[in-house]
Amino acid sequence: MVELKSEELVHFGKKAVDTVMRKGADEAEAFLSGILNTSVNIERGQITKNMRKIGQGLGIRAVYKKAVGFSYTNILDDNSVIKTAAQAFQSAKASKADKDWPGFPTPKKYGATKGTYDKRLATISSNELVNIASNMLKEATSHDKRVFAAFGTAETQLAYRVVVNSCGLEAFDKGTSIGCSLGTVARQANEVTPICMEFNAERVYKIDSSWVGKEAAKQAVSALKAKKIDSGDFTVIFGQMALLELLYYTFINSVKADQVQREQSALKGKIGQKVASDLITIYDDGLMANGLQTWKFDDEGIPRRKTPILEKGVLQHYLYDCYTAKKDKIESTGNALRGGQNPYKSTPIIQATNFTINPGNKSPDSLIEEVDNGVLVYGFQGAHSSNPSTGEFSVVATPAWKIERGKIAYPIKAAMLVGTIFDVLNNVSALGNNIRKIEQIVTPWVCAENIRVVGK
Amino acid sequence: MRDDLAKVVDAGQGLGAEYTEVRMQKLFNTTLTVKDSRVESVKEGNENGAAVRVLVNGAWGFASLGTLERQSLTNAVAEACKMAKAASLHVKTPVKLADSKTVEAKVTVKPKKDPKEVSVEKKIDLLLTEDKNVFDYDTRVKSCTINYMDIAATDYFMNSDRTYIEQDKLYLYLLSYTTAKEADKLTFSHDLLGYTSGFEAFDTETPEVIGRRVAKRAVDQLKAEKPKGGTFPAVIGPKVIGIFAHEAFGHLAEADLTLSGSVLTDKLGKRVASEKVTIYDDGTLEGAFGSFRYDDEGVPVQKTTLIKNGEIVSLMHNRETAHKFGTKPTGNARAEDFRYEPIIRMRNTYLTRGDYSFKELFEDIKFGYYIKDYRGGQANLDGTFQVGVQEAYEIVNGELGTPVRNLSFSGNTLETLHKVDAIGKNFELSVGICGKGQRAPVGAGGPDVRVQEVLIGGGA
Repeated sequence: MVELKSEELVHFGKKAVDTVMRKGADEAEAFLSGILNTSVNIERGQITKNMRKIGQGLGIRAVYKKAVGFSYTNILDDNSVIKTAAQAFQSAKASKADKDWPGFPTPKKYGATKGTYDKRLATISSNELVNIASNMLKEATSHDKRVFAAFGTAETQLAYRVVVNSCGLEAFDKGTSIGCSLGTVARQANEVTPICMEFNAERVYKIDSSWVGKEAAKQAVSALKAKKIDSGDFTVIFGQMALLELLYYTFINSVKADQVQREQSALKGKIGQKVASDLITIYDDGLMANGLQTWKFDDEGIPRRKTPILEKGVLQHYLYDCYTAKKDKIESTGNALRGGQNPYKSTPIIQATNFTINPGNKSPDSLIEEVDNGVLVYGFQGAHSSNPSTGEFSVVATPAWKIERGKIAYPIKAAMLVGTIFDVLNNVSALGNNIRKIEQIVTPWVCAENIRVVGK
Repeated sequence: MRDDLAKVVDAGQGLGAEYTEVRMQKLFNTTLTVKDSRVESVKEGNENGAAVRVLVNGAWGFASLGTLERQSLTNAVAEACKMAKAASLHVKTPVKLADSKTVEAKVTVKPKKDPKEVSVEKKIDLLLTEDKNVFDYDTRVKSCTINYMDIAATDYFMNSDRTYIEQDKLYLYLLSYTTAKEADKLTFSHDLLGYTSGFEAFDTETPEVIGRRVAKRAVDQLKAEKPKGGTFPAVIGPKVIGIFAHEAFGHLAEADLTLSGSVLTDKLGKRVASEKVTIYDDGTLEGAFGSFRYDDEGVPVQKTTLIKNGEIVSLMHNRETAHKFGTKPTGNARAEDFRYEPIIRMRNTYLTRGDYSFKELFEDIKFGYYIKDYRGGQANLDGTFQVGVQEAYEIVNGELGTPVRNLSFSGNTLETLHKVDAIGKNFELSVGICGKGQRAPVGAGGPDVRVQEVLIGGGA
């Protein structure tokens, strides 16, 4: 699977669709995905593993009298494809009709994507990846002898996606990515810091693993000698990782159309209303150049696009797939996703792509300088236990630092942040210029006022 | 199958590997989703795959692929050896493995009602019946999502010690999630059931019982108050003490994480908890969600004592960490499926019971919280933990009081274990799907446990 033959994949897709239709189905769709993942792993201060994982397969949706069935396999030969197609049709017959079933989409023209495939990454050698990991590790451990590299990886991915359906849609796209990350702790006397993570991920071969190693080490050292703080309401600067955790489990859920339609979102009925500070403009850009989640089409074959979510704090739009779009009588925004390492095993759900908060013009240092009494948070523990409907959270800030009179004063031991995401967004007072990509989020540092911190 | 595995293992050893292991797997899987009385998806999956792992010059090489074909596997073993050699160039402390006795075994599963023999229609009926019971419970129930999954796997394992194991595995799980709404209050509740037995599990835990339970919890939350933020005494219920034993303590006692610098580094043999505390990680409990017979390195599963009367007795090991500690592997090496390498995972982790009645646990508390059920938990290597809670009550003058919502609590694991001052005589084991880069079915539980103080994150 080093280079993928799109004709062969489309062949299996068409075969699956034909088989389902010949069984008597009303509609059929085949989705194929393949991921080749190569990784070098750091464990307990040294490189110990080099792994290659190949996952490819086919998922088939069959529709019979508005009832949908799904079946998947990773065995890609004609016999298995026919068997899996028959199974999908059987599942459809066993299922129940859905009056809102929208039908599969017809062929559409796709926009161009930039910086999503690099053939150097498709053929990178184990030795080269080992060197990337080794540089990261060296940089971290030579920084300070109290630093210990607990775990880390350097990895590349080559992936493809194919959608074929009975409405004549045929789509193929491929992409690459590379990333490295390092988790460190610093130890001194009886103290161990929390894990401090740094990372760098890109779609093309342009990452700086030495920087990652050094930053992870610096963070760990600066997390030593943590102190408890008194409870109170503080100005809080949220780092990118912290924002990912918080937004992923709260705000992003509340702009998904299925959550809105099922009355599970605090943003239901609020299009055109102000729900955040004037400073906040957010869009979801499925075609962003070099975007970590950029593809030409979504996992139903709908063209990816740029969707405005908040414009100066005013709610503009929700995120849609075909099913929810039909219900609201609009077009899908191209946000159908089949997630994980084996996308072919799943049916689509709604997910953000490159969910982008427009940056401001302040450097991280000047953001800190303007805070008299506040907290800088790099990460959260427990954000997954937030209330996805109301946006309420109660999480541990770690690692986090106290800011006093414009300077980082000391690291904070296990304080909790409590509030709702909507209060945070309403109280945003400044934005950094340091935009970064992490998973579905593209964001600078965000500074917000009056955030409840429970210390001791 | 056995011949194919032997040929691939021999190929690895022939290329100079110090250790070679091959795992093959056949997987069948049914997944159903019902959302708000609508059948959202009916999925069936059929997959084959294999993984080879080799140790060369003290470094690991690993390759997984979606086929059982011998030639592809032989190529993969050569690739794995090449990768291990590339990694070994930087190894300072070569990886070595503790001995494990050679095993030859066949483990079969014979459920009363094999999920493969139960029709999809019947499974859908189960979900729709539960859904109906959820919505019939109260008009304030607004949504209901139910996910059902059954997985039947057959694993074939061989390594260069000539251990050969064929092992069937069966997992059944049902995840229900429901929300209720009144004015601007929106509450939710979830419920996870998991079994390694057959479909007969739903004869006792019926869809009617499950549906009413999940709905009731969401509706009861509507009258819940916001908690006060700060430090308070608490009684922690069996479900929550289970997730505490697993998340806050268990992960720190996984030897790979202990070696990565967790707060338990250098604590073996030392007091880390109140003497009332005894914690096991037990893979031998019949029918429990985290039980199995042999781990994915071919090591027989066991009951491992982690803490005995407050003292750390053992960590959880694979063959690699057992060698580092000069001890025996504990049967904790697990891989999610053929795509993944085995890593150290928990099985069923629980605190043992004590002798306090429910009333005795409460009577000395003037004001505190009874924390009954969780949403999720997470811990860090430094011992900082957070547990999000979906069901909790105030304790006022020794009595159970008003329900509170959106509470979460946190603290330091070892400080909290030292503050345990009374343990109830009840016991309950519940189930979970643990994520550590891979998913693993686990059990967790214990009795009601009283802690002198934890940090409560107040309501928003």
